Amino acid sequence: MLEPLGNGILTIVQWQYLLPLFLGTLIGVVGGALPGVTITLTIIVLLPFTFGLDPLQGLAAMTGVYVGGSAGGLITATLLGIPGTPSAIATTFDGFPMARNGEPGRAIWLGIWSSFFGGLLGGLFLILVTGPLAAIALRFGPWEYFSLFVLALAMVAGLAEGTLLKGLISAGIGLVVTMVGSDPIGGIPRFAFDSDFLRGGFPFLPVLIGVFAFSQIMTDVESLGRPKSGQAGAALARSSLSASHLKTIGEILGRPLLLLWSTVVGILIGVLPAVGGSAANMLAYDQAKKLSSHPDRFGKGTPEGIIAAESANNANVGGSLVTIMAFGIPGDAVTAVMLGAMTIHGIQSGPLFVSQNVELAYGIYAAYIVAHPLMVAIMAVSALIMLRVTQVRLSVLAPVVLVLCVVGAYAVGNTMSSVYVLVIFGAVGYALVKTGFPLAPLILGLILGEQIELNLVRSIMTDDDPWLFVTRPISGGLLLAAALSVALSVWQHLRHASRTRKVEADF
Amino acid sequence: MRLGRDGVIGLICFAVSLALLVQSFSLPQLPLTPVGPGFYPRIVLGLLGMAGLGLLLQDLLAARADGPVSGGEPRPTAGVHRRVILLFGIIAAYVLLLPVLGFRSSTALFVLALQPAIEWPVTARAWAAVVAIAIATPLAAYLVFEKYLLVLLPRGSLTGW
Amino acid sequence: MKRTWALSFALLLGAALVSPAAAQYPDRPVKLIVPWAAGGDTDNIFRPFTPHLQKHLGQPVVIANVGGASGTVGAREARNAPADGYTVYAVHDYIHLTYYAGIADVKYTDFEPVCLISATPSVLTASAKTPWKDWKELVADAKKRPGEITVGATLGSTSHLFPATIEKAAGIKLKYVSYDGLAPRMNAILGGHIDLTDSNLTQKGKVDAGQLRFLAIATEKRDPDLPGVPTLKELGLQIVYEVQRGLMVPKGTPAPVRAKLGEACAKAAAEPEFAAALKKQGTRVSYLDSQAYAGFLDKLDADNKALMTDLGLAKK
Repeated sequence: MLEPLGNGILTIVQWQYLLPLFLGTLIGVVGGALPGVTITLTIIVLLPFTFGLDPLQGLAAMTGVYVGGSAGGLITATLLGIPGTPSAIATTFDGFPMARNGEPGRAIWLGIWSSFFGGLLGGLFLILVTGPLAAIALRFGPWEYFSLFVLALAMVAGLAEGTLLKGLISAGIGLVVTMVGSDPIGGIPRFAFDSDFLRGGFPFLPVLIGVFAFSQIMTDVESLGRPKSGQAGAALARSSLSASHLKTIGEILGRPLLLLWSTVVGILIGVLPAVGGSAANMLAYDQAKKLSSHPDRFGKGTPEGIIAAESANNANVGGSLVTIMAFGIPGDAVTAVMLGAMTIHGIQSGPLFVSQNVELAYGIYAAYIVAHPLMVAIMAVSALIMLRVTQVRLSVLAPVVLVLCVVGAYAVGNTMSSVYVLVIFGAVGYALVKTGFPLAPLILGLILGEQIELNLVRSIMTDDDPWLFVTRPISGGLLLAAALSVALSVWQHLRHASRTRKVEADF
Repeated sequence: MRLGRDGVIGLICFAVSLALLVQSFSLPQLPLTPVGPGFYPRIVLGLLGMAGLGLLLQDLLAARADGPVSGGEPRPTAGVHRRVILLFGIIAAYVLLLPVLGFRSSTALFVLALQPAIEWPVTARAWAAVVAIAIATPLAAYLVFEKYLLVLLPRGSLTGW
Repeated sequence: MKRTWALSFALLLGAALVSPAAAQYPDRPVKLIVPWAAGGDTDNIFRPFTPHLQKHLGQPVVIANVGGASGTVGAREARNAPADGYTVYAVHDYIHLTYYAGIADVKYTDFEPVCLISATPSVLTASAKTPWKDWKELVADAKKRPGEITVGATLGSTSHLFPATIEKAAGIKLKYVSYDGLAPRMNAILGGHIDLTDSNLTQKGKVDAGQLRFLAIATEKRDPDLPGVPTLKELGLQIVYEVQRGLMVPKGTPAPVRAKLGEACAKAAAEPEFAAALKKQGTRVSYLDSQAYAGFLDKLDADNKALMTDLGLAKK
């Protein structure tokens, strides 16, 4: 195993492979950082350029995009409070407050180094335990997926700041949004009121970008006239991006359990097809909050939040490469395009892929590993440029960011309806934020909604015995975990509430 | 009886859930599937409706307990409010113009309109910058996305451009 | 402020109107709507096709993946696109099926055919976790426990119709579970969560590894790459089933534009490189020009309508 990997790395560092890998990583970072442009879109755009290359060159470039993109999203998430890609949603929760508190350098470098370590750890799992991980993926039938997503949804209780009820409603709205359009089983129009626009449904990406970008920009606009923002702006201007790397790395490696656990969460979500980096990122964040001794610091700029979120989304990349290597089954939209590129090059994917194409397979592993130091180097430079961006006046930044959002929303399907969805949900997101509803549960509902329904109906179609959800061991275990998770968050909530009440009483 | 903001939202939430719930029963059923397209929505809408009702009750109880309680954060002034509405208006106009005028023209107009709406330029130089950015943004986006990366941008039905 | 506004508006509008109108088609990139996600079967066939098409068309051809609701979102999008030849629609048999199943209101007659480019034979595939070694054992088992053997399928699409025709011809009863797209079906069948599915030759790697079994192929003759897999005809079922993929444009597209597209398509489909690329997708080139394709579509539509009615799946 080590020998082919060593050979793979020796191959990858030759310039004809290193160059596409570097360019791929660079494009990935840029695409990931641009709000509205996802990793999927970036890789589709890159695809035609790879037709002329040899397979490993093309796949190296794509691996680079995937790794770079998963990290690139953190720049926008931290500096602007808008996730550059869906997999950086949870990074905004603590990264943005930390940057606003005058430590953008620390926030960004915490993110970069967490991505680096999370990604490499993920790679270790990818290379060493592909087989067992892939076996887990096969054990997951519709019942297990359903229970897993219920567990993920149970996070709402943990993610809801303020009242539990508002978090619940927010998640419910997210779930309802995914129902509009047509039902995912038979394609029957549902809640569409005979409108062609509604029948197309609300695609995830424009909704996500709309909700985050608009509410953030409008909140910034509101605070333009206030002296408070002047101070924050000054703090941002004063603070440089410089951060002590040793200290930052120490902060991350000083929490080995957090890093390891977030990585494991990221990998597992990656291995299981259907949900991707966005869920990994949020689940790991929630786990970190649950297991933390001071959960109340989350959301205010705690390093743990950034470490968990960013190590998980890069580990997720390693995870989703597992199924493609083991079975030739794509785990998400990005790996689907990679697999497409492989078949276009005539590589027979499947369980025998690794043993039949040793050089190519280990070349991909090597590309994955080498992409990480490249990513750190690229991020170091682009983060410097991005910090300049935050010093740009809002009157210039806002229109440019909004135009990018429009381009991104339009580009995936080339349809105006996605752009309308973007604006409608921009307004919805702003209204929700103004009325004190947390956005995280909404996003979670959006991510999981369709998959919960699909797997629920699939299980009923496969076998009409409802007890299977409980009696199948993995499914039952996941449901139990969901129940425990809710109980734990409710307890944390109550404890927090009683503590604040005590403080109030002291006044 | 006084209804707070949360109460109103709870009520809306409850009403919408109820309306959709009623609609979910009239959805056609595919002969192939044991449960129809309304099965899962009914579960979610039921829970959402209850949560809405819960919020309404919570608000009513809270209002009775300690009188008028407002949202927490200070309400923004009317001026700020008007500006946000103006911005949303400009964005809506942009999105409606896009399929008519095409990406390049409407984006130029949008960037031109949005900048002064956020911050009114005082000097002539600032105005020049506003115009320059309004022209540069669509141009750069067009060159990078459509010309170089082949990511197509909206064309105007009126202009074909 | 108002004046500046009006002035710049007028200027831009003027500039836009003066710009060269419809010059020689095509004078800008052409959009190809693929109604499924990137990396799917259909996408994998049209991806290697577009470079050839754009070479002969003289303008970039850009794929737009408009997925969702069994491919009907993309169909509707294509139908509503301007009929100027700058929007081309990649289609397969599903357009007939979704219409008759009542899932979509888009019919193939909403478009003008340009050309047919490929045919992909369906292969009946079983999970390695099932006990059956061949078709006979499957039938025997299915007769023993009717309605218990599960089939993963995109409901109302080709992967549903193909097993349904077999079911009817063999006189057995199967149970369908909704899995949209080949990738989720493969995931489920490898794990044994479904027993059967429709797949194609691209999945040969998994068969070689012993994780899947090809039971029968729906071609006239055995495939040279799968000499051990019998055809359904050999097994006594008169079923030949291939997924036919082609290009169409919205109704009302001018004839010269269609002619130009058709010409480019003919040249592109004749490229040996394209044939080689399709072979890797378990697919053969099957070219028909617009006229022949039109007749073919009429026949296909009538066949599919009859099939759907026959199977009790038709609503219209």
